[in-house]
Amino acid sequence: MADLTKLKAGELALLQGNEAIARGALEAGLSLAAAYPGNPSSEILESLADSAASAGIYVEWSANEKVALESAAAASFTGLRAMASMKQNGVNVAQDFICNLTISGTQGGIVLITADDPSGISSTNEEDARFIARLADLPLLEPSTPAECLAMVKFAFDLSEAIGNLVVLRSLSRLSHTRAGVVPGPLPTGRPQPFWDPKQIWNTVPVVPRHQAMKDKLAKAGQIMAQSGFNAYSGPESPDLLVIASGSSALYAAEAAGLLGVDRRVGLLKLGCTWPLDQALLRKHLADSERVLFAEEVDPFIETEVKALYAQQAAELGIKQFFGKASGHLPQIGELTPGRLAGAMAAILGLTWQPAEPQYLQAARETISRLVPFREFGFCPGCPHRASYWAIKQALSLDGRQGVVSGDIGCYTLGVHSTGFRRVNSVHCMGSGLGISSGLGKLKSLGFQQPVVGVVGDSTFFHAALPGLVNARWNQADYLLIVLDNSATAMTGFQPHPGTGQTASGQPGTAVDVEQVCRALGIDCQVVDPYDLAAAQQAVYQAVQGEPGLKVLIFRRLCALVQGRQGGHPYRMRVDQSLCRGDECGCHRFCSRAFRCPGLNFDQAAGRAVIDEVVCVGCGVCAQICPAGAIRAEAKEAAA
Amino acid sequence: MTQSPAAGQPAAASLERLKAQVLEAGLCVACGACVGLCPYVIFHDGQVAAPDVCGLEDGRCIDVCPQAPVPDPSQKRAGLLQALGRPQALPLGPLREVWWARALCPDQQGRVQYGGVVSTLVALALQEGLIGEAVLTQAGPEGAPEGVRARTRQEVLAAAGSIYAAGGALSALNQALAEASDHALGLVGLPCQALAAASLAAHPRHAQGARLKLVIGLFCTLNLSARGLRGVLQAAGVRGPLTRSDFPPPPAGVLEVTTAQGTTAIPLEEVRPVVLKGCALCPDLSAELADISVGAAEGRPGWNTILVRSEQGQRLLDLARAQGLLELTEMPGESRQHLSTAAANKRARAAQAWKERADG
Repeated sequence: MADLTKLKAGELALLQGNEAIARGALEAGLSLAAAYPGNPSSEILESLADSAASAGIYVEWSANEKVALESAAAASFTGLRAMASMKQNGVNVAQDFICNLTISGTQGGIVLITADDPSGISSTNEEDARFIARLADLPLLEPSTPAECLAMVKFAFDLSEAIGNLVVLRSLSRLSHTRAGVVPGPLPTGRPQPFWDPKQIWNTVPVVPRHQAMKDKLAKAGQIMAQSGFNAYSGPESPDLLVIASGSSALYAAEAAGLLGVDRRVGLLKLGCTWPLDQALLRKHLADSERVLFAEEVDPFIETEVKALYAQQAAELGIKQFFGKASGHLPQIGELTPGRLAGAMAAILGLTWQPAEPQYLQAARETISRLVPFREFGFCPGCPHRASYWAIKQALSLDGRQGVVSGDIGCYTLGVHSTGFRRVNSVHCMGSGLGISSGLGKLKSLGFQQPVVGVVGDSTFFHAALPGLVNARWNQADYLLIVLDNSATAMTGFQPHPGTGQTASGQPGTAVDVEQVCRALGIDCQVVDPYDLAAAQQAVYQAVQGEPGLKVLIFRRLCALVQGRQGGHPYRMRVDQSLCRGDECGCHRFCSRAFRCPGLNFDQAAGRAVIDEVVCVGCGVCAQICPAGAIRAEAKEAAA
Repeated sequence: MTQSPAAGQPAAASLERLKAQVLEAGLCVACGACVGLCPYVIFHDGQVAAPDVCGLEDGRCIDVCPQAPVPDPSQKRAGLLQALGRPQALPLGPLREVWWARALCPDQQGRVQYGGVVSTLVALALQEGLIGEAVLTQAGPEGAPEGVRARTRQEVLAAAGSIYAAGGALSALNQALAEASDHALGLVGLPCQALAAASLAAHPRHAQGARLKLVIGLFCTLNLSARGLRGVLQAAGVRGPLTRSDFPPPPAGVLEVTTAQGTTAIPLEEVRPVVLKGCALCPDLSAELADISVGAAEGRPGWNTILVRSEQGQRLLDLARAQGLLELTEMPGESRQHLSTAAANKRARAAQAWKERADG
């Protein structure tokens, strides 16, 4: 990311949605930004971190999203403007605090950014985090373009201060990662002196009157939002079809109408302020249209609320037809596309819509299958997780009691796929692997006989795993926790975390040591290098076979990508094809069939294994699995 | 030996059949025949496992497994004996000579199981060049037995004594066979291992198998799971490495184990749960596929029973006799009758177990 303070006010810049959010916050006079990394939100904080020194603000990667928002609230209580950004899952982590913060209220402008991931492109779910606005009575803004991201963030800070409450801005994968022209505004000069008046108490009691105050704040927000200009209508006065859309779907709807050539028949009501809804505006447009289609991702949030609004006024508005997710015209799941919306519009308007000639689609499919090799999810070449899961697989297989592995969130989530030998039996959310392990580890008295292994990454360990671990220790759960410590938040882009001892702005922090944390809890803890397959396998085997109780193994080995940036791996790998057994009985391509590192190929012509020198990083691990000693690890210096 | 697939059905891969029909069925006796042939099968702490999918349809692993389902196990044994040029003979297997014997080598005292005959014969076979290397079973670092390779008398003596737990020693044989050497190999093994070794040596796609030139068989009625035995010893309060274990003949009804702390007798009821389930399928008390088989001499502590079965076995015994390494005496007819009855009973029990297995 780049220092966003260097952008010139008034000069068109090409900005990612996430950068536009960050720039908007800087223009709004942000003093503190906190976040936990997670696609598609990560670049917001990364770009603020890179701007922190120039802007004179405090930026932190927090241990989790709840802590991030709490830090932001602290700044707000002292009168500073603050922001917390997260992906949709993070909103769940922060939810308890949100639902109390909204009662206590806030002072300095405070904005929560949720970047949702329809289709779960880089997520474990495709949850629609807009629910938090309705749940906690918070104003909700939904930009459609990077330019709107910038404008709406600035508006959000003003709105927050005007009502004394948190404001939610919701982005989407496509928006966060789209680049478009944005004209930045000026940056502020000076900032308020943070101060907490000791007479001021930020809390939630008495609950009922404060709940009323919260409702009043939302009503006031609705009035301000109605004047914002972020809700806009374009189209004929009485359209054949009214499309009510938000976020990226508003752009898709406009494109779909163009594809169908029905721009003059379709009206588009683009909502940027989606909670509370502008009832007067909606009443007016419902009165002008007989048929209404809703375009939004992922849940029918606006659709349901508009229908509820209509139900109260049906007598005056007359009979309307509503189309969208409930009617089956649009899917309940996954991202929307212009094509899907065109299909829905065509069905409603009685037109035919063919996205492409069937022959073309067939030819495209055939061409793709011919030209594009099949690829599955896979760990990088040299990834320590491959070695870790190998050791776990071997050990649990030898144990023979059908051990189960409770997984967690990170690159190692891929353990559910063949790259991790399908060795992971459950994955849910950050830290839940430890809670599930803890529960399984108490089932012995109820007849559960399978050994239990939990795996958790180092960043996830600090994010949400500690309570699960403390619970297991307290209640004497019987399981083996393996901390896959690659010293990086690798999946989201190598952000620092408590274990790395670096802060968001690259300053030295205090490294928190997993081992010391475990030992402080009184848990037996051992550090193993997963690259040493035999040692790692033996450690897992001994732990599951040994005395019952909670044990921790730390599989410590730097992420292969980080190692690559820090000088690379030590070996040049080579297959001695005269020794390789190929696909004969006695091997049957064991390295490429079972171990499955992308750096190992099968040379069809020779009928022998071969190293792909472009892909192989030289970690040396595969040399340990070759039964014939044909895979050789030679020191790079010697080989050069 | 490969089962022909049912008409119209694709042949299931060998390793996957081995997994389903032997490993996961709990019938593996950890002989080690499938271990070390390829990397898909692994062995540790007395356990054989196959964590990955191989998919090869004509793999050797299931062919060499003594526990793999075959239409007629007795026919399989007869076929292997025929390939070795020996007749099938019930119930004790082919016999040239039968003796009671004990070793006359002072350095074996206190280390050997009974009469020290096995250690003497192996060491002699190495010394006389009948074999260049012997595959034996020895306790590993965690107490569980494992295959070891011996070239010297000292290495042979280090492996003396029975452990009564499955140790996968044939993996060491496979390892030796996979190396680019041509010296003859010997094996000391249980009846299941003698069967597996004969399958291995006769396998059409194991050119190296012919290097196995001498099999010394051990009498066996049952074997224990290495991990199970460890649990039994722990429960009985036995600590430290075992220097000797033995099932004394009835009516003792115990497993006797000796450590540096002394000898403990563990009641058979405590041992039975860790007997390998797969042992029930074994019809062979005396390792009929060996060149020479050795066991306890009933009612005569410190002595062995020897059954000489092949020309090679005869040659080895004759050498031992000529060099004055063994004291031989005739086995009493009554004892021989007892052994035959025990062998016949085992065959009958196994036939019933195979029938139950086939009936599912």
